[in-house]
Amino acid sequence: MNGQQSVNIVMVEDDEGHARLIEKNIRRAGISNAIRHFTDGTSALDYLFHHPEGPAANGPALVLLDLNLPDMSGTDILVRLKEDTSPLRRTPVVVLTTTDDKVEIQRCYDLGCNVYITKPVDYESFAQAIRQLGLFLSVIQVPDPEE
Amino acid sequence: MKRVLNPIALSDRQFNWLVVALMSVGFLALIAAGAAAAYVVSRNQAQTGWVTHTYEVERGIFEYRLLFERIETARRGYMLTQQPSFLQSYEEASVGVPRALARVRRLTADNPAQKRPVARLEQLDRAQKELADESVALVRSGRAMDALRRFGVDGSIAIVREMRRVTDRMFAEENRLLALREAEQVRTGRLFYWVIGVAALLLLGVAALSLVVIRRYVTELGRSQGALRQLNEGLEDAVKTRTADLQRANEEIQRFAYIVSHDLRSPLVNVMGFTAELKAATKPLAALIDRAEEEAPHIVDEEARLAAREDLPEAIGFIRASTQKMDRLINAILKLSREGRRVITPERLDMAALIEGIRGSLAHRLDAAGAEVRVDMPLPAIVSDRVAIEQVFSNLIENAVKYAAPGRPGVVEVRGRREGPRLIYEVADNGRGIDPKDHERVFDLFRRSGVQDQPGEGIGLAHVRALVYRLGGTIGVESQLGSGATFRVVLPAILVKEGERQS
Repeated sequence: MNGQQSVNIVMVEDDEGHARLIEKNIRRAGISNAIRHFTDGTSALDYLFHHPEGPAANGPALVLLDLNLPDMSGTDILVRLKEDTSPLRRTPVVVLTTTDDKVEIQRCYDLGCNVYITKPVDYESFAQAIRQLGLFLSVIQVPDPEE
Repeated sequence: MKRVLNPIALSDRQFNWLVVALMSVGFLALIAAGAAAAYVVSRNQAQTGWVTHTYEVERGIFEYRLLFERIETARRGYMLTQQPSFLQSYEEASVGVPRALARVRRLTADNPAQKRPVARLEQLDRAQKELADESVALVRSGRAMDALRRFGVDGSIAIVREMRRVTDRMFAEENRLLALREAEQVRTGRLFYWVIGVAALLLLGVAALSLVVIRRYVTELGRSQGALRQLNEGLEDAVKTRTADLQRANEEIQRFAYIVSHDLRSPLVNVMGFTAELKAATKPLAALIDRAEEEAPHIVDEEARLAAREDLPEAIGFIRASTQKMDRLINAILKLSREGRRVITPERLDMAALIEGIRGSLAHRLDAAGAEVRVDMPLPAIVSDRVAIEQVFSNLIENAVKYAAPGRPGVVEVRGRREGPRLIYEVADNGRGIDPKDHERVFDLFRRSGVQDQPGEGIGLAHVRALVYRLGGTIGVESQLGSGATFRVVLPAILVKEGERQS
């Protein structure tokens, strides 16, 4: 990731266990960037757009997004992030969810998601997928947010 | 308790019997009346014949009497005047007499009472003829006086009188017969009117009865038709409502299955993930125990050793196996619910080619099992959804191969026929068969039957049944344990797309 300014990883995941497993495996892939974890959509959106340390005000970020959230659908967050007036519209969004429904996947890409990953139930595959994602994160370029 | 009998309130059945009996009696009586009328008419005809006959006899006798009176008159006139015209008249009458007498004899041959008078008449006739011829011969030879003289003594007058008496008696006899026969004819005529009258009454009765019965049936028919129509209309509405209900319920179930299976996956990821973490964590623990045993055996007690080396790995193993199974089951439910939401697109399918394709895709397994798939040609084509039909038949054929009887090479036969608007396909095998008590169960999700020596979760047939229902068909199985199974799929020959079925 960007050398000069470290990229924050914003994880929106309602399941604490999933979040923990994801974080563990990302760390195992050698990613040491800060990870901010939110369990609901409202607080996540608040952080993303309004928090002084959030990506809108402060430096590049990457969003790991689950679609099943208690207060809203992950796609709502995706829409907010990717709409034309959003300062975060170029921020990479990785949808990481249990849904492998074709329609849902298509919809997410249509809305501008950058990567869609289905969480495998089998842990070996899950761990591997997250580690590969970590490797992937370590090489991608993340743009700065709009000034 | 006293039983109250109501003779009027006959049951429908009894009433029907009564009506049939009454009508039968009525028709029989009518037939009898017809026969009686025919008999009476024929008898009347016979009697008329007899009356005519009597008149004929009377005319015959009368003719004869005229003739013999004419002979006598001509004879006497000729004797007195010697006029040839009398002679001519005499000769004419003489020619007619034997014919007239023979006629009388013939006509009265049937009546013994007239036999004697006729015989007497013939006798008298011969005598009269003899005497009259003699008189005529004498007058011709110019001895008119002799003739007259002899006439006075030869008894001619007595003979003629006798002849008159005899014919009078015959007339009387014929008149008596005539009166008798006419009276009989009148009686027959009266009988005829009686018979006709009775027949007419019967006819009226039967007609009235028929009318009542027809009216009753027509009324009943009308009523039941009305009821039927009402029922029909109600039924159509009920079917519509039920179909809508079913569709709603089906959608609900699909959604439910989807949400449940989907949301179940989330905690499952945690269970499996942290179990894996646990497993990974047991390794350093076990290593620690090993090292502790080596370096400071006194701090390692039996319990700790067992926990690290046996209890923990065993528990983790069970948790992992169970969660893996649960994952497979949830995936099956997801697959089913997804199948239910897939859009069906009917197209014309060449079933023989389709089965051939399935055989091709199973070729490897067929070779390995030494099994074969036979197609009983011709296989009727169908208009239906290709993916669904392929899945149905590949599942059925795969099952047939999978559950072959031990020690018997599998033979799977696919056949089909048309029955009205439906097609009936059968997939028959010579495999191990299914216990009849499990025939319903095998179609249930996660349910299996028989020896559990093959991998599987009990999903295939549930999936097949869901697909067949979706295509508007039914599926059933016929089988005995140990003697193969025949799966029968009944499908509409032409599948109408949902939504187009209504309206």
